[in-house]
Amino acid sequence: MHGQRRYWVVWIALLALTATTYGMSRVDLGGHWNLVVALVIAVAKASLVVLFFMHLWDAKGTNRLVFIVSIFFVLLLIAGVVGDMATRFPLARPPEASGLQGAEPPGPGRDTVHGSQNERVR
Amino acid sequence: MSEATPHYLKDGTTIRSWLLTVDHKRIAILYLVSVLVGLLLGGIFAMALRLELLTPGPTIMDALTYNRMFTLHGVTMIFLFMIPAIPSVFGNFFLPIMLGAKDVAFPKLNLLSWYLYVIGAALALWGMIHGGADTGWTFYTPYSTTTPTKVIPILLGAFVIGFSSILTGLNFIVSIHTLRAPGLKWTRLPLFLWSLYGTAVIQILATPVLGLVLLLVAAENAFGFGLFDPARGGDPVMFQHLFWFYSHPAVYIMVLPAMGVISETISTFSRKNIFGYRMVAFSSLGIAFVGFFTWGHHLFVSGQSTFNAGAFGILSMFVGVFTAIKVFNWVATLYKGAISFKTPFAYICGFLYFLVFGGMTGVAVATVSLDVHWHDTYFVVAHFHFIMVGAVMMAFLAGLHYWFPKMFGKTYHEGWGLVAASLIVLGFNATFIPQFLLGNAGMPRRYYAYQEQFQALNVASTAGATLLLFGFVIIAIYLVLAFRFGAPAGDNPWGSRGFEWTTASPPLTENFPGEVEITGTPYDYQENAPSLRITPEVVRGS
Amino acid sequence: MEARLAHHFRAIETQRQAERFGMWLFLATEVLLFAGLFCGYTLYRFLYPETFHAASAHLDATLGTVNTVVLISSSLTVALAHHFAHQGRSRVAGVLLFVSVAAGLAFLGIKAVEYGHKFEEGLLPGRYFHNEHLKAPGASMFFTVYFLTTGLHAFHVIIGMGVLTWIGVRAWRREFHENHNIPVELAGLYWHLVDLVWIFLYPLLYLV
Repeated sequence: MHGQRRYWVVWIALLALTATTYGMSRVDLGGHWNLVVALVIAVAKASLVVLFFMHLWDAKGTNRLVFIVSIFFVLLLIAGVVGDMATRFPLARPPEASGLQGAEPPGPGRDTVHGSQNERVR
Repeated sequence: MSEATPHYLKDGTTIRSWLLTVDHKRIAILYLVSVLVGLLLGGIFAMALRLELLTPGPTIMDALTYNRMFTLHGVTMIFLFMIPAIPSVFGNFFLPIMLGAKDVAFPKLNLLSWYLYVIGAALALWGMIHGGADTGWTFYTPYSTTTPTKVIPILLGAFVIGFSSILTGLNFIVSIHTLRAPGLKWTRLPLFLWSLYGTAVIQILATPVLGLVLLLVAAENAFGFGLFDPARGGDPVMFQHLFWFYSHPAVYIMVLPAMGVISETISTFSRKNIFGYRMVAFSSLGIAFVGFFTWGHHLFVSGQSTFNAGAFGILSMFVGVFTAIKVFNWVATLYKGAISFKTPFAYICGFLYFLVFGGMTGVAVATVSLDVHWHDTYFVVAHFHFIMVGAVMMAFLAGLHYWFPKMFGKTYHEGWGLVAASLIVLGFNATFIPQFLLGNAGMPRRYYAYQEQFQALNVASTAGATLLLFGFVIIAIYLVLAFRFGAPAGDNPWGSRGFEWTTASPPLTENFPGEVEITGTPYDYQENAPSLRITPEVVRGS
Repeated sequence: MEARLAHHFRAIETQRQAERFGMWLFLATEVLLFAGLFCGYTLYRFLYPETFHAASAHLDATLGTVNTVVLISSSLTVALAHHFAHQGRSRVAGVLLFVSVAAGLAFLGIKAVEYGHKFEEGLLPGRYFHNEHLKAPGASMFFTVYFLTTGLHAFHVIIGMGVLTWIGVRAWRREFHENHNIPVELAGLYWHLVDLVWIFLYPLLYLV
């Protein structure tokens, strides 16, 4: 079995990545880039933990498959839910949501019978 | 095989030996008793509903009670019966035997799963006794988060039962991977086990999502956290997404094991090799996987985007492909087989008919433009009862009648078996076909009162339910009589090639009296040599 | 003490593989349990991006970073504990496990301090939210998600601490060695998962 050095190296790397993500968050990268960078670093840290602390690097294929499949289904759930909100008819969205301001709904039917889509439904 | 070695039912007769057992067969019997109590309760709630619906106005209860009644009917039937029935009873009993093993991978976790079932059921029942919830078993927000009725114990009860389901699935997957006897290649694995494998994958991946969302609803109801509250910027439809992400795959937790039972019995009762073994096995995994991509078809009219609706509608069609693969393979198995029309076979016929028609109506409601008309009407109710009661229940009864001689070593009365089966198939049709017509004519579901013109069909449906009830009563009577006074069943009364039929009836606690080696498939009726060989126990080193 | 081969397993190595596989399946269920909350976070962040960004500034990023370092370090000690258990140095493994438990306690202590601040400032979930400075739509939603995710996470930290204590006691009693150390490995896997969840919670709640 390998020595304990591997764990110490991973630990240093994790601390360095933590410092990096903290530092990057103090800098305004504009738009959504802060979020993207933070997530990339988080994935890197998580990979180190999973591969080396949890031994998936030298584990059986079935254990790796179990972990990967679970992540896949988390992403599926999030994609389905956020995808729904992103493509909704405007009146079906929460009225004060700023995240969708100005976004045109795709697909058929702006409801011209009941007035402009900016009208609040009360 | 020594006469002095007791079989599993006689191996310890104290209550303690049952309540602290780690024998998978005893745990299966504990589950059998429990799920039958659940079935009885759910059936009582169903009859109460059908009695109320005999007249357009109030008949025997008020509106609030009616709402509570259909909630309890749904919760009890789904969580206390349909989800655990086939996997936790027949799966627990036969999975290790079909693997040539002595038990499941984690026997103590298995016992824990039963206790979790009992605790969860008790919690839910406690809520019911105190008035129950009136939200429907689907607990939609914002009503479930604001109702003053006793929804929290029922939510917590379902949460706990979810863990029972998870542990069962975990045990099954590990067992199938690590406990197969020498010679049991994946291509010889009984199809019942393939179906349990697919089921277990769903139990592991989907149940936690349900667990979380039930907790969130309970927390919001108790503390007003507002995760789904529009007044705080929340989205009540997100609840539906999280709920159905589990609850759609959950229907495959119910149906896949049922299909597995049918694969086993259809081969035995046509004395023929299952047609297209690989396709049937593969389609079990296919259903489990694709079933996760379809949940949005429950949200067609909830405010979900039309883009999502279209996408989920198309994806929902794919599941039908895998089911069709199975149906064609089963029918091909029957073709030119030596059919033995016994009670289990009567249920197989019922299953095929109900699965095909129920499944086709499923494809119909998965069509967005049609579902706009049928959503929240009796059409949907009839569709899912065709699959739940029609297909899954038929398979449960087929399995019960098929494996009864093996589990208890006794024979039941075949004539009464066929009578009850006929009553059930007839009663089922009489109960639910009127509901398709009612739904299509516009009668909404979960409505306490209905318009005059719907009464005739409602009365017909209740009459059908009564026939169903008689069928079940007859089964209960002759099976209990058989358990006490039935003629001893031999080791293999059906002449099946399945691995479980090489054991004694009832099986020994250790299942096999020696080391097992598999030398063939469980469906090979051309072969005369046995496909499972037992060599006497050898002293093992550690 | 030797590892006992259960009567239904054919070889001890198969039994170990089965136990490891079983734990990974259980971890998959934990991942899917948190999935719903990450889904809620993503959805509401999508709907209220500026509010979430502003609300995040009301969390103490320093304390959050300290907690991250604490948890990462406790993952190191747990991994080392398994290493030493495998080498037959069971008592050392026990000490390392107790250190990990102490780290967990520190984590919870810091979280308690943070929660205290939130109470004072009225930054609470749902109908309890009453902060003067943060009034945009979706503000109370950020804190609902914050308390639910960190609360569920803290609950798992507590369970993990219990498991590590139990295994730590057994390690201190010299139970583990090269041929018998899988309980340490399995307890470690659970603790690493707790760390994994926090690795994502930290940036999503504190940094963006």
